[in-house]
Amino acid sequence: MPQFFSNKRLIILLASIIVLVAMIGFSMKDRKELSWPEQFLKDTVGVSQSLFYKPANSIAGFFENLSEMKNMYSENKKLKSKLDEYAELSVSVQDLKEKNRSLKGQLEKEADLSEYQVKEATVIGRSPDRWNKFIFVNQGYKDGVKTDMAVVSPQGFIGKVTRVAAFHSTVQLISDNDQNNQISAIVEGNKRIFGTIEGYDSKKQSLLFKEIPVNATIKKGQKVISSGLGEAFPRGLLIGTVADVKADQSGQTKTAYVKPAADLFNLSRVTILERTMQQMDENEFKAREEG
Amino acid sequence: MSKILLPFITYIAFVAESTVMQVLAPEHYGWDFLMIPHFAMVLIILMSCYLKPSYGIVYGMIFGLLADLIYTDLIGVYMFSTALVAYFIAVLSRYLFSNFFVTILLSILGVAGLEFLVYGLNSLTGIADVRMADFFYDRLLPTLILNAVFTIIVFYPFAKLLRKIEG
Repeated sequence: MPQFFSNKRLIILLASIIVLVAMIGFSMKDRKELSWPEQFLKDTVGVSQSLFYKPANSIAGFFENLSEMKNMYSENKKLKSKLDEYAELSVSVQDLKEKNRSLKGQLEKEADLSEYQVKEATVIGRSPDRWNKFIFVNQGYKDGVKTDMAVVSPQGFIGKVTRVAAFHSTVQLISDNDQNNQISAIVEGNKRIFGTIEGYDSKKQSLLFKEIPVNATIKKGQKVISSGLGEAFPRGLLIGTVADVKADQSGQTKTAYVKPAADLFNLSRVTILERTMQQMDENEFKAREEG
Repeated sequence: MSKILLPFITYIAFVAESTVMQVLAPEHYGWDFLMIPHFAMVLIILMSCYLKPSYGIVYGMIFGLLADLIYTDLIGVYMFSTALVAYFIAVLSRYLFSNFFVTILLSILGVAGLEFLVYGLNSLTGIADVRMADFFYDRLLPTLILNAVFTIIVFYPFAKLLRKIEG
């Protein structure tokens, strides 16, 4: 049996365990900003990440395209039939937009919770250990990105910005299990149901929508959107659809399993959203929601 | 020359974990097991086998800290685990013959040790909420296979470089 530790080394090990606990404790605090050495490291690694990720992704994309080409013909047929519906739809959307604008003008209200400005960003990497679900994008505070901004892919909401360096930032996906990762959301329906998205079930690949009142009626297939309350997210971003509902152990509330609308694994280009309206009184909002 | 090459190669392996390997990750094909690349750890394990113990520990601390700062939310988890694994491998390799198979075995042992340490520490803070059996079959076994393959690929060129550094 080899002797792993002499007395001196045992003391070093114990001291380093104490340092480890202290460091974890320090980093578990809710830090809003990165210190400059962290920012510098993040930008340096970010540059080399984009050097690697782009070519790798384009090669993978090429092979994906080849396999997609097989179904092109049938897909094209389907899309052509959808095109007629689209024309109809776009006319009615134009009509509704016009109506919305005139009604807003009557209310003398400029900004809305659902209005936002967009920033395009390219994904340059992803956290390799799956305990932390982060992706890295090539936009930083020099491009106007701030912490807690919402990030979406073309299919729907994917997460929020948590760490910002000068030219790169880290996005925490909604599937991350961090306890601070909560998003207030609404189930769309006749009567709106408020709750929070917190946690992820990796076996079912769905998000947990918690704190729903027991008497609320919630069905499979209903859409879940961001509420725009509490965070800096715009309102009405599609998060996913309800896949299953289960009563909690306490019996006071229910939990719904929500299938994310966006594919959280295949991300190459994302959009960072900045809400135009900065703050809104929650009571005022709820009053209007019910009235 | 080879002394400059060592940190450079380790850094490339470190960046490849989050970029190239993420494009090739099994999730893209709808498989539900996880293959976590620990390429920098594998190289550090090889250093511990062939160079002075201090090499493995110092590289383990530097690249562990880098992984903590860039890839995770908690500082210290990877720094501690990587350095500890490097130290254990350095001690173990003193007592074993350094040939191809022993080194592969030590590399598998080291990566498994790192996975268990990180799983344990993350369970304490609530980030990991996976049951032991799921962790073992869905994550640990595929991860060990991936990293063993990587060790076999880099073994001969990297061992050659390390012998040159040792002089």
